[in-house]
Amino acid sequence: MPPRFVVAVTGGKGGTGKSFVATNIAVLMSRHVELTLADLDVEAPNDHLLLGLQGLENEEPIAIFFPIIDYKKCTACGACAKVCDTGAIVMAKGTPPMVMPRLCSGCKACLYACPYKAIDPEGRRVVGYSYSTLVKRGGGFRLITGILREGEEHTPPAIVVAKQRALKETPSDAMLIVDTGAGTGNGISAAIQEAELVIAVTEPTPLGLHDLRAILEIARGMEKRIWMVINKAGIASHEKHLETAKEYGVEKVFLVPYDPEAAKIYARGTPVVEECPSCEASKALNEIAQSLLVEALEKGVRRK
Amino acid sequence: MTAPEIKPPVELVVASGKGGVGKSTLTAVLALTLAEKGYHMVAVDADAEAPNLHLVLGVTQWEKVDDVYEGRLAYILEDKCTRCNLCAEECAYGAVEIKDGKYVINPYICEGCLTCSLVCPPKAIRYKFRVKSGEIRVAKTGYGFTLVSSETMPGRPNSGKIVTEAKNKGKELLGPSGVLLVDAAAGIGCQVISSLTGAQLSILVAEPTLASLSDLKRIHKLTKHFGIAPMLVINKYDINQDVLPLIEEYAEKENIPIIGKIPYDPEVPKALATNKPITIYSPDSPAAKAAKKIAEYVADEVLPQWRTWWAKYRPKKPEPYVPVVLRPGQITSTRER
Repeated sequence: MPPRFVVAVTGGKGGTGKSFVATNIAVLMSRHVELTLADLDVEAPNDHLLLGLQGLENEEPIAIFFPIIDYKKCTACGACAKVCDTGAIVMAKGTPPMVMPRLCSGCKACLYACPYKAIDPEGRRVVGYSYSTLVKRGGGFRLITGILREGEEHTPPAIVVAKQRALKETPSDAMLIVDTGAGTGNGISAAIQEAELVIAVTEPTPLGLHDLRAILEIARGMEKRIWMVINKAGIASHEKHLETAKEYGVEKVFLVPYDPEAAKIYARGTPVVEECPSCEASKALNEIAQSLLVEALEKGVRRK
Repeated sequence: MTAPEIKPPVELVVASGKGGVGKSTLTAVLALTLAEKGYHMVAVDADAEAPNLHLVLGVTQWEKVDDVYEGRLAYILEDKCTRCNLCAEECAYGAVEIKDGKYVINPYICEGCLTCSLVCPPKAIRYKFRVKSGEIRVAKTGYGFTLVSSETMPGRPNSGKIVTEAKNKGKELLGPSGVLLVDAAAGIGCQVISSLTGAQLSILVAEPTLASLSDLKRIHKLTKHFGIAPMLVINKYDINQDVLPLIEEYAEKENIPIIGKIPYDPEVPKALATNKPITIYSPDSPAAKAAKKIAEYVADEVLPQWRTWWAKYRPKKPEPYVPVVLRPGQITSTRER
């Protein structure tokens, strides 16, 4: 059974405050309901740093399929190289296929294309690690973190494996908050896949707006309900962001004002809602958490 | 116009791991300065999933837009599907969804890898071929140089391939000499790897936050894989005095020259809002002055003798990429760092 309420925090542009919003609302909401936070920004995971954790616990390798060829069975027919979409299987004329690990996305097409069953279905490659750590902030909650190994380039399969762990470790009567990376590719779609509600975090610049539209395009295409957070509000005009929100049927728009005090607290890795509850940013984050809490309780997410 | 001819061309990549630390703002100032000094230069926006450099440079019209059609998208024929669930079990991307009892493939997730059609017993899976995966765009900026930009369609995979194409386009326009200035994406995945492949120099941008430091270490490790000489710029250096020394210590330990620091400056977002580089919008602002100084240093001190610079700061031995392959029966591995 999937968790009762899944919310994804995303935004397109980097540095708009996705992790800032996700960690702070997790701290606030965990005082009232059971929840898990999943950091699926596997290329640059930072939620544990923003929560001031000393270390991550319960490591598991993110192991995806990797073709290990049995050259006794291989006839060098070329079927595997032909179906490989990423160019990971190379064959010089008349020689058996060779696999380039970095290029392999672990999709298994070669495994099923091989007529001689020369590829071992159990071969795996570790592209990263996932962690499950108990966070003792707010009312306490679990943090799942996915980390891609430096040098690996196929992010989406790693996101999928980390997400599956988060779904497995979240009780069915709890809620799951997913924090995604920057970007608008299919790794982001995979991260938000189970979410009913997408919170798009943006900033009041044309850059934020441009990337926001791409994310809203995906969220609308995937039939998600959408809320929007305009972070660092006040540093420039956000009028066009509001127009865009209307265009994409965004249900709610929240403004988190630019707050130098909050920025300082963020920099050293403590949640602003705990360190400075009276800060302007904290008040705005509280408002978001309250609105989410109403939804969570309506859906029967377990109270603490 | 005293800029030296750089032959063959040199590739300089601006990267950071973390997003929003000021890559595009700095790249724009660099590009303007190099152009001003007479360098033959092409700028490439290699953040295909969230391209923004054209906005900083005030580009409103493209001279040329080439569609990239290379994607493949799977779909399921409902009347042939026996709901055996094999495709859903085998898709590495989790793209197969069950909606109202029907199996459908999420077009924002599917990579077109063929696996589902190979495992489907009733052969119920077909493909749309030549799906548009993105665009490569070229514009002459108002500042006298050419910008090549790349953009993937929302939810499409393989942004790294588009980045490679954009870079190739940039190299073609550059010709046999000059500077290819690449603005990389956030992260360390395929787009960033495509940006770094073939580059000699890299400017890493960090801000004094623990998050940025963590991501800096990751992007720096990648530059070591590729034998690139890194330089460091610390942006918004004055927002946190506790974390700043940690970044400086890391740079010193790792032999990364710090080529400048830029203060936090509220003029920067205002400049972005007007689609102008900070040195044009507010040339006397502290951030503009600092960024300009960095750009001049790169133009006057680094690029004219980039080979010496490269020899001095690139890793003596590139750190090889070592895959962690688990043979059948091997359950786990220990983390390597």
